[in-house]
Amino acid sequence: MLQLLIQILMNGLMMGLVYIMMALGFTLIFGIMRIVNFAHGEFYMLGAMAVMLLFSTLGINYFAAVLLAAIIVAVIGMVIERLLLRQFVGRELNGMIMTLAIAITLKAGATIIFGPQEMSIPRPVSGVTNIAGILIPNDRMLVGAIAIAILVLFYFFLRYARAGLAMRAVAQDWEAAALQGIRPQRIYLLSFGIGCALAGLAGALMAPIYTVSPFIGEVPMLKAFIVVILGGLGSLPGAVVGGLLLGVVEAGVATFINTTVATMVSFALVVVILLFRPAGLMGQSR
Amino acid sequence: MTFIKFENLSVHYGPIKAVDNLNIEAEKGSVTCILGANGAGKSTTLRAFSGLVKPSSGRILLDGKDVTGLSSDQMVERGVSMSPEGRRLFPDMTVGDNLRLGAYLNGTRHSWKSDMERVFSYFPRLRERIGQNAGSMSGGEQQMCAIGRALMSNPQVLLLDEPSLGLAPIMIAEVARIVRTINAEGISVVIVEQNARLALQLSDYGYLLETGRTVLEGPAKELQHDEHVKTAYLGGTMAATS
Repeated sequence: MLQLLIQILMNGLMMGLVYIMMALGFTLIFGIMRIVNFAHGEFYMLGAMAVMLLFSTLGINYFAAVLLAAIIVAVIGMVIERLLLRQFVGRELNGMIMTLAIAITLKAGATIIFGPQEMSIPRPVSGVTNIAGILIPNDRMLVGAIAIAILVLFYFFLRYARAGLAMRAVAQDWEAAALQGIRPQRIYLLSFGIGCALAGLAGALMAPIYTVSPFIGEVPMLKAFIVVILGGLGSLPGAVVGGLLLGVVEAGVATFINTTVATMVSFALVVVILLFRPAGLMGQSR
Repeated sequence: MTFIKFENLSVHYGPIKAVDNLNIEAEKGSVTCILGANGAGKSTTLRAFSGLVKPSSGRILLDGKDVTGLSSDQMVERGVSMSPEGRRLFPDMTVGDNLRLGAYLNGTRHSWKSDMERVFSYFPRLRERIGQNAGSMSGGEQQMCAIGRALMSNPQVLLLDEPSLGLAPIMIAEVARIVRTINAEGISVVIVEQNARLALQLSDYGYLLETGRTVLEGPAKELQHDEHVKTAYLGGTMAATS
């Protein structure tokens, strides 16, 4: 029984880490720009597409391909921010409609270029590791390890780096930040780039595990949305707590019942949180 | 010589004229106060100076150079730093991080560390509070942190918007002491206050604003004895606003 519980926790942790990567970028962009980025799943999809091109088509080393994919997605995100989103900073409703339009356009664009079919990517690692009876597929373990490294890096960046401090300052009070000499526009560009890079990384890491198609961003987007509702929109610690909670609850329900019920339960969780703690677990009510 | 000069400055918020044809001059190393009731345009004047709002007409000159319409970061670069109304600290960040952000534009670790030491010499209390979240401090400590943060950029001109608002009398005296210390080091100060008594005690020269226009100006010592100022701003109305 204990072994089963640990197995569930490990499965939940592996998925939770991917949810956290999606949710962190989503909540970071909202916290700083007040833009609900409905195109976040499409940046996940672009990351997967990029790794497919670089790794399986061009034959670049997998780790280099993942890194390049993240950079490519960040650049695409920054161009979109500069051209289409900048004017919607702070205007939540209009920004939301704009990101929806971007999401649909990116999905359609990817369908035109790559076709609607599902494609698969060779796995960079295979096999299963058995630690005292707990089974972890090696490819999942690799994703988990990279995700943890990225999250730690992201934490130290926000906590100590000059640009990280500036991002937190703009999120808390952009006008006071401007008075310190910070240019909010630069921070918007940087935050959107980082948020997109995190989504692109998640997509690039998950691409060999699932299949790749223009529509693979929809589920991760939904999960990120659930996670930030659970944790509190705009709260970074909330995204971590919410991501782990969602991962573990899903893994538990999927093990004892099935995955369809697991999805239902995750939405039931959102309803309960919204009813009794509308600002989320770690969110501050404004 | 004139260091700060506002020439026929007007600022609009949409159709509303918040500042109307304002002329202000201040010498280098002086303390200048802008007095007036709520909504007289005092804060707007400072917001225009610090680059948060763009004037609709008129000019702002700093040391003879036109700085009208520059952005906030450009004004910080030119040595104008503001401690805004309501302090506006980053509440979920530590005192240390708040101060470090005040030195956002002066590059190296070494330089902001020494600026922080200077701020601690003015406000020893902040050194004790360095790791504490700014939002958890008392109002007086937050005001010290806000002034300290504004000093971190090594300004030539310090703008103080309502520094005494909501503070206990002992903290108001502390703020007054700090303004004098800072000014003694050659930093020009422009102070906006509803507490006219305090502002006039600290200042060399004062301007009195009503609905965006200057209605009276003069050396602070003369304004202290002006009948209009006495009845309108040094009487009973002052206590109600603090």
